[in-house]
Amino acid sequence: MHTSRSGGCTLTGALSVTTQVLNAASIIHGPRGCAHHNFSLFHATMPDNERATLPDIVSSALGESDIVFGGEDALARSIQSVCERDVMAVFVLSTCIVATIGDDVEAVCGRNWPVPVIPVPTDGFLGGSFQDGVNNALIALADLQEPSKAGPCVNIIGEKNLEYEVEENYAEVVRLLALLGLPVGIRFVHNLSLDDVPALGAAQLNILRNPLLVPVGDHLRQRFGTPYIPSFPTGLSDTLAFINSIADACRIDGRRALGIEQALQAEVLADFADIGDTKGVFCGPVMDPESSKAAREAADALHIRVSGNPEAYPLPVHPVVGTTGIRRMLHRWRRAIHA
Amino acid sequence: MPECDNPLWPCAMTGAAAGLAGFEGMTVVIHGSSGCYYYPTTLLHAPLHGTFILENEVIFGSEDRLREVIGELTGTGNRIAVITTCVPAILGEDIQSQLAEHDVLLVDSPGFSGDVEAGYTKAISLLAPQTDAATDGVNIDGVCLIDPFFKGNLQEIRRLLGLASVPVATVFCRDALKKTRTASIYTIGTNGDFRSSVGEYLGGTLGFGTLRATFERLGTAFEESDIDPVLRELSQQEEETVRICDKFLRRFDPPTVVIFAGASYAEFAAQALDHYLDADIRFLGTRNPGGTSRYPAALVTGLTQVKTIIGQHNPDLVLGSSFERSVSGNRAFYGITPPLRGVVRLAPVPLAGVNGTLFFMEQVLNACMDKSRKVP
Repeated sequence: MHTSRSGGCTLTGALSVTTQVLNAASIIHGPRGCAHHNFSLFHATMPDNERATLPDIVSSALGESDIVFGGEDALARSIQSVCERDVMAVFVLSTCIVATIGDDVEAVCGRNWPVPVIPVPTDGFLGGSFQDGVNNALIALADLQEPSKAGPCVNIIGEKNLEYEVEENYAEVVRLLALLGLPVGIRFVHNLSLDDVPALGAAQLNILRNPLLVPVGDHLRQRFGTPYIPSFPTGLSDTLAFINSIADACRIDGRRALGIEQALQAEVLADFADIGDTKGVFCGPVMDPESSKAAREAADALHIRVSGNPEAYPLPVHPVVGTTGIRRMLHRWRRAIHA
Repeated sequence: MPECDNPLWPCAMTGAAAGLAGFEGMTVVIHGSSGCYYYPTTLLHAPLHGTFILENEVIFGSEDRLREVIGELTGTGNRIAVITTCVPAILGEDIQSQLAEHDVLLVDSPGFSGDVEAGYTKAISLLAPQTDAATDGVNIDGVCLIDPFFKGNLQEIRRLLGLASVPVATVFCRDALKKTRTASIYTIGTNGDFRSSVGEYLGGTLGFGTLRATFERLGTAFEESDIDPVLRELSQQEEETVRICDKFLRRFDPPTVVIFAGASYAEFAAQALDHYLDADIRFLGTRNPGGTSRYPAALVTGLTQVKTIIGQHNPDLVLGSSFERSVSGNRAFYGITPPLRGVVRLAPVPLAGVNGTLFFMEQVLNACMDKSRKVP
């Protein structure tokens, strides 16, 4: 479990997974405000993510008397009501207040309901951080699936569904896999029908969105025997290493794919030769080590001298995926340098 | 309480923060987890602080963490308000005693205690504003950070009071904290859903009729005032509104309307559209329990209810938040309720006062005409 004061709520993380399951509903067992906060956040990100349909989030709407006398009856009523709708499964996410008063959420979910009712261990902040919510939701859904014979596909695991560039990052990984002749199986979980989830155990390889998902990767390897790559590629050399790792894991010859990608990277760097030999300073709201490393590598390749000098050009850094991500970042650098 | 699909309205904790964070000289601390802190911060665009408690502080007590955070915030001259979220509210800790050395305003307003209005009202009642007969002017009420029109309303009512030579006393809740100790004995409102209950209420400012009555009362209460300029402007602008609406009705049928908003704004919108456009007000879905209405009205808390009501009444025009917009299809829409995502809002736009009604009618007419032009 991650313990960070700024790690966000498990509910938001879990909902970022469960609301991407197309024919399922998510119940937040707690006060109405918890569901509103999250619904409002998802609603706000929808236009950016070009998602047309609103997530289906139901609150058990606990009030003061439920907090005093227990909320299990309210949860049962909510599950009953949701099961009567056109859903194939129901996810139940618990809030911190429910964990504190000691409602037995698993027991209520374990009753005889007409569709699978899946408790996702969340407990609001008492269950960890946003990332714990993501991981626990993925594992809860994975545990419903049975192992099956591995095919040629590669599955994508744990995309950041609230990320602005989620589709573009996915497209970049698909492009790299295509260089190796590998098809994508399922996006676990992004815009995914429950009917397609059984393909989770049929991949020859899983690719995790980032290393924070390693517990999920380990769980899937244990359950289905599927090996995994721990992260999408973040920079130029990392993209080449990514191709190599996948080729090794899938036991295919990656030399041709590697050659094509190296040529593309050379072309990209040549396109941005005009911003080389300048001085810059990295800036941006998200400066995680991987992004900084990728940005530094690109700057070195273009002979941009990076310093802490505030007089230097501010070079925006954001989390990038693959060679395409680096190219987009370099466009932003060019705009900043020419501003 | 029955389950609720996609709840539309924030919790009491957010309401308490919306009230207190509007006062200059007040430092607001959300006592709870980071997840609870992030929502009011992004919604209110106000400086808020948090204790960001973790599990071990729930088990072993949050006193040390609370002291650490409060200690970092003292010394600025600001009064500190601590708003409890759900879990700290039931832990049974005597926070007031723990922080006895600080002059802390403790607001026990957890999410399960109610909706945003409940927290707002509680926070103001604990703040215990006082009136002072020696204070000149009138208080402006209902200025709440959660209201997308709060800046515009305040600007407009200040303008009208200036025209009438009536000074502004204390603005609830957008003023210096110390002015809550010397509020005027008179108050006028903007958004009636966020009432402070301070002083004698002389009336609201939503709609020309209400505005006229309120300024006539102000004229009586303040001998030095001159309300004639306001009444003149009001008559001129109402005449212009009638003219424009009449012109609209020569070409178009009156719209059928459903409205989703706080009870105060919903009633204003319904009356304005009924009066000037002869609109068919089919339903008011209020976010909070309002008073009686001559229109069909009920409390609407979730998005499924909204979809059902829109489906049942099949209106030409929907007023509401961006939640409603997302399920309104191709109907004409105008946003009067938070949140209003997906639109750029820079200028302070009012709903209250003369310009509030003008702006509202203008937006509705344009939305209806745009919609009519798109129909083949």
